[in-house]
Amino acid sequence: MPKIVLASGLARWLRDAASAQSGETAIETTGASLGDALENAFAQHPSLRGYVIDDQGTVRHHVAVFVDGVAIADKTRLQISVRQSTEIYIMQALSGG
Amino acid sequence: MSDRLLVSTRKGLFALARQHGDWRIERTAFLGDNVTLAHVDTRDGTWYAALNLGHFGVKLRRSSDQGQSWDEVAVPAYSAEDVVATGDGKPPAPATLRLLWSLQSGGDAEPGRLWAGTIPGGLFRSDDRGDSWQLVKSLWDRPERMNWFGGGYDFPGIHSICVDPRDSRVLRVGISCGGVWQSTDSGASWTVTTKGMFAAYMPPERREDPAIQDPHCMVQCRDAPDRLWVQHHNGVFRSDDGRLSWNDIANVPPSVFGFAVAVHPRDPQTAWFVPAVKDERRYPVDGKLVVARTRDGGATFDTLHTGLPQEDAYDLVYRHGFAIDQDGARLAFGSTTGNLWLSDDQGDRWQATPMHLPPIYSVTFG
Repeated sequence: MPKIVLASGLARWLRDAASAQSGETAIETTGASLGDALENAFAQHPSLRGYVIDDQGTVRHHVAVFVDGVAIADKTRLQISVRQSTEIYIMQALSGG
Repeated sequence: MSDRLLVSTRKGLFALARQHGDWRIERTAFLGDNVTLAHVDTRDGTWYAALNLGHFGVKLRRSSDQGQSWDEVAVPAYSAEDVVATGDGKPPAPATLRLLWSLQSGGDAEPGRLWAGTIPGGLFRSDDRGDSWQLVKSLWDRPERMNWFGGGYDFPGIHSICVDPRDSRVLRVGISCGGVWQSTDSGASWTVTTKGMFAAYMPPERREDPAIQDPHCMVQCRDAPDRLWVQHHNGVFRSDDGRLSWNDIANVPPSVFGFAVAVHPRDPQTAWFVPAVKDERRYPVDGKLVVARTRDGGATFDTLHTGLPQEDAYDLVYRHGFAIDQDGARLAFGSTTGNLWLSDDQGDRWQATPMHLPPIYSVTFG
């Protein structure tokens, strides 16, 4: 099943501060598209949504999403096909923030 | 007199306490993260902290144990149909939360009610201590909003919310740049009145346009609520009639430009300002940091400097960077260079705190 990897700068917001470990976090997810895979991950971790997606349902301006190593070009269009082996990598863009 | 101060900085929230006559850091939270605002709800003792995480957006944290532990609560959110249009020529854009710029408690008979002012210009209401938020559409849908624009930010924002102590249905909000608005029915309807204010930065025919005024900060006297003070982009203004009209206070030394203002909770004639070189420069006049105080409603001012640096000082005090405690006995202000001063004698003398803090956005007594 597709896997979502959160970069350490994002993963730290999912953890209880008292038990915080540094490093990436991987989430096993499901879905045939990037949007579905993200929704499944948000269902597992409801607080994650607001860190990745803005008010308008768009990937945040300073968040980068890579699907099998390729950055998505349009942050509003998440109906990108994913495979069972796909790895989705979410990180803070280096452009700002 | 309050012995605790919450200091919101670029690198965390610092809770300071006065112990044996000295101010020390009692507790920290969110170290390394950008804390833009803290609010203490005096009705139930809850602390709120607004964070702007940059990459990951604006967040709100709530503590019921004076900062020992924090929960993440909801932030105000815009809907798909909400669009920001501004009067300075930027193309309309979908509204997204850019900054939680002000937080205010509702009245004593409204437990759990909070008001939040945001960039890009929406006022939000919560009736459950921040667990959920509703956009106040009656203000958002006003056609004048399309003429608002940002002052220092890309989009307009609500930075000042005054809940009338006599009647908590009466709200007054200050908007950069969108004027001063009032509701008498808990936000169901709104009027704008800025009579007497002027905006020298606008073309001549627009200088008195209410919807483009830039009040940097607005405060209301608790015991005389018809008296409001505004530090405006173009000077200091005082209202004696609950913001229906404004008087230009042109003699604030050494400059009428600044961001912060505080009013004594019992004495409407007494107010403080931290002047700076106008408006493209924004640092203390001649590198001397001073506080201007009036005790007669703005007729005259004292220039207070004892304990403040009088050479090579480039501290700027932001609009939420100056606070007075509930009984009016203690003052505090913090600067963009992370310096923090307190006074127990109405500003006659200032005591610098010994710590070297990150840039300070906001101070509030706890």
